[in-house]
Amino acid sequence: MSDGEQVTSAPALSTYQDECTFSYAQIPEGVRNKQYLGLDSKASSEDTVQAIRHYYDLDELVTILAEQDEETKERRYKKVTLQFPDELLGDSACIVQELQRELGLIVESSTRTENSELCSGQCSCGSDNNTCHVKKDESEGQKIWILADTSYSACCVDEVAAEHVKSDLVIHFGDACLNTIESLPVVYVFGRPIFDVEAIRERFVSEYPEKEAKILLMADATNTRYLKGLYERLLLDYPNIAYADLVLDPKADARIIGYNPQTVVKPINLMLNRNLVGIDFECDEEEEQEAREQAIDSKLCEYSLFHITQPHAPRLLQLITKFETVKVYNHVEDEMFEGPFPNLRVRYRALHMARAAGTVGLLVNTLSLANTKNLLNLMAKKIKKAGKKLYTFVVGKPNIAKLANFEAIDVWCVLGCDHQGIILDQDREYYKPIVTPFELSLVLGDEFSWTGKWVTDYQRVISLFENGQDEEPDQQEAMTSETYEDIEEPTFNPVTGQFAESRPLRRLQYLQISGATENDSSSTAVVKKLSSEVAIKGSVSTSAVTLQNRSWTGLGSDFNEDLEEGSIAEQGRGGIARGYDYDKDIHAI
Amino acid sequence: MVAFTIDQIRDLMDKVTNVRNMSVIAHVDHGKSTLTDSLVQKAGIISAAKAGDARFMDTRKDEQERGITIKSTAISLYASMTEDDCKEIKQKTEGESFLINLIDSPGHVDFSSEVTAALRVTDGALVVVDTVEGVCVQTETVLRQSLTERIKPVVIINKVDRALLELQVSKEDLYQSFSRTVESVNVIISTYADKEMGDMQVYPDKGTVAFGSGLHGWAFTVRQFALRYSKKFGVDRAKMMERLWGDSYFNPKTKKWTNKDKDADGKPLERAFNMFVLDPIFRLFAAIMNFKKDEIPTLLEKLEINLKGDEKELEGKALLKVVMRKFLPAADALLEMIVIHLPSPVTAQAYRAESLYEGPADDANCQAIKNCDPKADLMLYVSKMVPTSDKGRFYAFGRVFAGTVKSGQKVRIQGPNYQPGKKDDLFLKSIQRTVLMMGRNVEQIDDCPAGNIIGLVGIDQFLLKSGTITTSETAHNMKVMKFSVSPVVQVAVEVKNANDLPKLVEGLKRLSKSDPCVLTSMNESGEHIVAGSGELHLEICLNDLQNDHAGVPLKISPPVVSYRETVEGESRMVALSKSPNKHNRIYVKAQPIDEEVSLAIENGTVNPRDDFKARARILADEFGWDVTDARKIWCFGPDGNGPNLVVDQTKAVQYLNEIKDSVVAAFQWATKEGPIFGENLRSVRVNILDVTLHTDAIHRGGGQIIPTMRRVTYASMLLAEPAIQEPIFLVEIQCPENAIGGIYSVLNRKRGQVISEEQRPGTPLFTVKAYLPVNESFGFTGELRQATGGQAFPQLIMDHWQVMGGDPTDPTSKPGAIVKEKRERQGMKSEVPGYEEYYDKL
Repeated sequence: MSDGEQVTSAPALSTYQDECTFSYAQIPEGVRNKQYLGLDSKASSEDTVQAIRHYYDLDELVTILAEQDEETKERRYKKVTLQFPDELLGDSACIVQELQRELGLIVESSTRTENSELCSGQCSCGSDNNTCHVKKDESEGQKIWILADTSYSACCVDEVAAEHVKSDLVIHFGDACLNTIESLPVVYVFGRPIFDVEAIRERFVSEYPEKEAKILLMADATNTRYLKGLYERLLLDYPNIAYADLVLDPKADARIIGYNPQTVVKPINLMLNRNLVGIDFECDEEEEQEAREQAIDSKLCEYSLFHITQPHAPRLLQLITKFETVKVYNHVEDEMFEGPFPNLRVRYRALHMARAAGTVGLLVNTLSLANTKNLLNLMAKKIKKAGKKLYTFVVGKPNIAKLANFEAIDVWCVLGCDHQGIILDQDREYYKPIVTPFELSLVLGDEFSWTGKWVTDYQRVISLFENGQDEEPDQQEAMTSETYEDIEEPTFNPVTGQFAESRPLRRLQYLQISGATENDSSSTAVVKKLSSEVAIKGSVSTSAVTLQNRSWTGLGSDFNEDLEEGSIAEQGRGGIARGYDYDKDIHAI
Repeated sequence: MVAFTIDQIRDLMDKVTNVRNMSVIAHVDHGKSTLTDSLVQKAGIISAAKAGDARFMDTRKDEQERGITIKSTAISLYASMTEDDCKEIKQKTEGESFLINLIDSPGHVDFSSEVTAALRVTDGALVVVDTVEGVCVQTETVLRQSLTERIKPVVIINKVDRALLELQVSKEDLYQSFSRTVESVNVIISTYADKEMGDMQVYPDKGTVAFGSGLHGWAFTVRQFALRYSKKFGVDRAKMMERLWGDSYFNPKTKKWTNKDKDADGKPLERAFNMFVLDPIFRLFAAIMNFKKDEIPTLLEKLEINLKGDEKELEGKALLKVVMRKFLPAADALLEMIVIHLPSPVTAQAYRAESLYEGPADDANCQAIKNCDPKADLMLYVSKMVPTSDKGRFYAFGRVFAGTVKSGQKVRIQGPNYQPGKKDDLFLKSIQRTVLMMGRNVEQIDDCPAGNIIGLVGIDQFLLKSGTITTSETAHNMKVMKFSVSPVVQVAVEVKNANDLPKLVEGLKRLSKSDPCVLTSMNESGEHIVAGSGELHLEICLNDLQNDHAGVPLKISPPVVSYRETVEGESRMVALSKSPNKHNRIYVKAQPIDEEVSLAIENGTVNPRDDFKARARILADEFGWDVTDARKIWCFGPDGNGPNLVVDQTKAVQYLNEIKDSVVAAFQWATKEGPIFGENLRSVRVNILDVTLHTDAIHRGGGQIIPTMRRVTYASMLLAEPAIQEPIFLVEIQCPENAIGGIYSVLNRKRGQVISEEQRPGTPLFTVKAYLPVNESFGFTGELRQATGGQAFPQLIMDHWQVMGGDPTDPTSKPGAIVKEKRERQGMKSEVPGYEEYYDKL
């Protein structure tokens, strides 16, 4: 069976490392053609520049950048960062060139030609990391940076990267989640994609033969500018139609280039980062929040959603939980999306896994979302209180390999943007299940029920966590020695049908190591072994337990006297790099 | 009236030599519970009049209604023997009082797991066989189970009244029928018996076979008749016993015994068994059933049977019952057989210890079990959970194998995954109370010494189904029970009202506890699954779940079968996958594992917990494995003990052992959810041919290796003629000849395959055996009943896994259609991915 000839290659001792091991990712053909600009591959560089200027409304952008501070008569924004998603990064150099030219920031002619060639699509971009390219001229007092390879999700404004250059304005290109940005002024540039209103109207009519149907039109941020036109045309045939317009948080200093959303009439119509135009929620603003939410939910349930362009999985899941039916239409390819749609029942499974988990990994996949820090702290407290062990991670862009490195983690909880930042793992590729803070809030309580809701708004999740906190005093009182018996009960995991130990921290209490040992200075040992429990600094370490359970415990641990014949040890080289012992002999000669 | 007190029982518990732990096992409807009633009646718990129809041991309402036993039930009985009888006992005893801990078990094949749980805590088994039906499929199964557990069997051939009344057989025919049954039992015993236990066969002339009628409450052994006649003939009883069975004849003229069936003149002689044992019974039956009023009193007088006043008024069957019960009381025959021939815990544990304990045989705990030492550290095995009147709470039912268990005692509770020195599945708790299980009731006692069966209160929440209770910190687990049935039929359950979900989850937990075999889980699409061994088992479980454990209305999907994914050939080329960072490569090939090896792994002969050298020896000697390969088995999967293996065939790969943990973790994952449609794998061996690893440890961590090993396992499988296996039932149907046509037509319709059809000698009954795919078995019983006018009642037992012909990746084939349907139901892409999905080019 084990004849070596069949093995195609057998480098035995270490990975053979040459170019074939490392190959750079290539930009696929389709992206280079820049169909969204309406150009074909033969377009000249001048055409490309013109198309880009038009597509991104660069003229309007220039006026904003040229704004002057009234007092100092200097330009208001001195350090400007342009944030691009990967798919638009190819345009970045060209845009910067144009902006610099328009704003009178000097550019040498040689680089200009070079760069315009780049824009026409022959360069390989996106290879660099998120270091900032400085395109500058000090004398004008205005600098422009490009932010590439956004840390977490491209739809969010990358405040952290902007912070690196102390930027005072971020210009965000491409689709955006429009979540509130607390600290920075933002300008959104969505671009003007091609949108054939008539073709889409026809498709819509064929999809919805029922004229009285309640339908909501929605699109990604880029295409929403056309929805009003579509809505008005469809309104003639479909009286119960509505559409979702963009909306910006008035608290935040944000603008949209090239499009003015409807003014918000009723704040109650604001949800999902959209302003739902055409739906009357028939409920009082004064009402209790819960009653109001219920009214909104039941109203939305009557609506079918027609979504133009394919939303990212977390967004899609969120939409599915809100509306009666969801149809997704890709207007570029003229295709209806057939699925598979993300399934909420799969989340239910993950919930149970989370409930039975002993160790939770909190994965921070955003830094810009409002309330992230509050939520993180609150969750840490709650998880500890539930007796689960907690580790917090920031891994950059999460992927399967990164998360699988942490073996001790039983379940991941990802804090991320609800458009792209949440990992749904629909193909079950991840080693351990991944849940959201909302889902974790459900399972940390003593009892848990599941309603099929899916909440991604952190403000609401925080209030959910805090609601649970009210019961705290009662529980503390009840913690007499007798209740430990119940507390220590293993949790039944209905996914596996087995018992799981979901509360490693409670075990510690049972072993009578309370907070007192934490301050115990008489012993200098960091790691304590109690019965079969490992404690580090007075807290149970589940990862230490995982390490103990590994069969590999270091070099030599795998040596098996019966199976392997040892070889005779030989005297090796001695000394240090400056002069090994045999060097001495050489020098001696 | 209770003929004994709890104190009496408690006293007897200390005299372990006088304890007998036994289970009553048999095929369905052969009369276990009815026979047990005779014993319970003797102990005075139910009245004599009711014995035979009370079914005291059927404690549940549905058991009483359906007339079948579903759960095994335990009861302790007190028996006192005569001094004479006690002399016959070939093991150490003290005095003439005995404690019999009896467990009545279900006979329906779907509940075999209950039998297994009962057998674990007992040392002897009373095997009940129907005179007319003979040894049936479940008789064989339970016998096999008891022998592998090292349980000594004794046999009672039941329903003799049926042979006499319904079939009107002659004495010689009846003898032949008895002897055939004994022979078939002995064939099974000699096939499965363990050499360690010595001769386990049963012999009527040694008193290990009884004959009787549970319904009428009478039974006898040859020994009892020998007792009567030995005085008369003035022969030694042992010699008499030999003469009363087999080819032994008595010539009334010469008053001589012979072993020829003809006398000197060539006239036929009557067999001694017929003449001395059967004749009086036949005469009584003939006289009473033919209403020969004048003959009866003489007969009764001759047989020393005294009837009381009103009993004399009876006639026909009622009279027969009373007379036979007085003549040959069933309890006497059974008790005698149990006490004399079944081993005491002391005797039994001496040879059972090694097969019960996971740890080494020279370990102190193993020695304590061997000696049944009540003063050693506690070793107690909980074999099942018995529901209490308090909803959601259970008695942990088990047997003390060593030490003494007391109320309030602090113990270590070790679940099935516990390993010495680790903390998984280990709890330190105190036992609230210890109770004696008495059928429907419990009696509290303070403590219970080694060798006895006991119920524990207050530790149920730490054990799911079974486990080891000990006071020794170094104790290994007692061996986990292996069931002869596997849960291959499953349904998805859903609540009708979403608010009831938490109740359903709690109900599933309780259901898992209450049944040793049922499995609850959740599939990838988030549906709750309940899996049972057959349709009846599932029906009972779901009933319990809906009405009792969860108590909420449920939506239940139609039953589906669980399949397995496997391979039929070796991978046609070496499968290679690269890690996400492209720095590590794993080269493997998949190949099928022989069915014998898979079975050996499944029944625990080849065990991941065994020493690898011993295991390699077995694999090499018995299954023809290469010893080097056998020693380099890295892991079993799924769940660390399934019939799929990773074998290391690499040569001189640096850092290889460092990635072993990651490979093992990945293999568990891959074998749990196969590439074809997410089912468990079975009989797949993955040979790691070569591995290249990055020189820096950080670049070959779990994150790089786990996903890669999973991918390469999938790729190698898809390159090795992937196939799916379906479970196959063995069907046994007993019916009259005219029903056979109907049976065949139903079997044909359902892809059934007849393997044998034979007439049972001396009866008009035919036994048809066939293989039937579990997938086709739904509604089989009903269709069969319809096709045969209700004359055929099948027994279905999970027999083996069989590869379904056809390519599962081709949706037009039969397996392909099944695969496609399940993939779509679970929200996966409808077509099976090609190996390219998981294969990386060099």
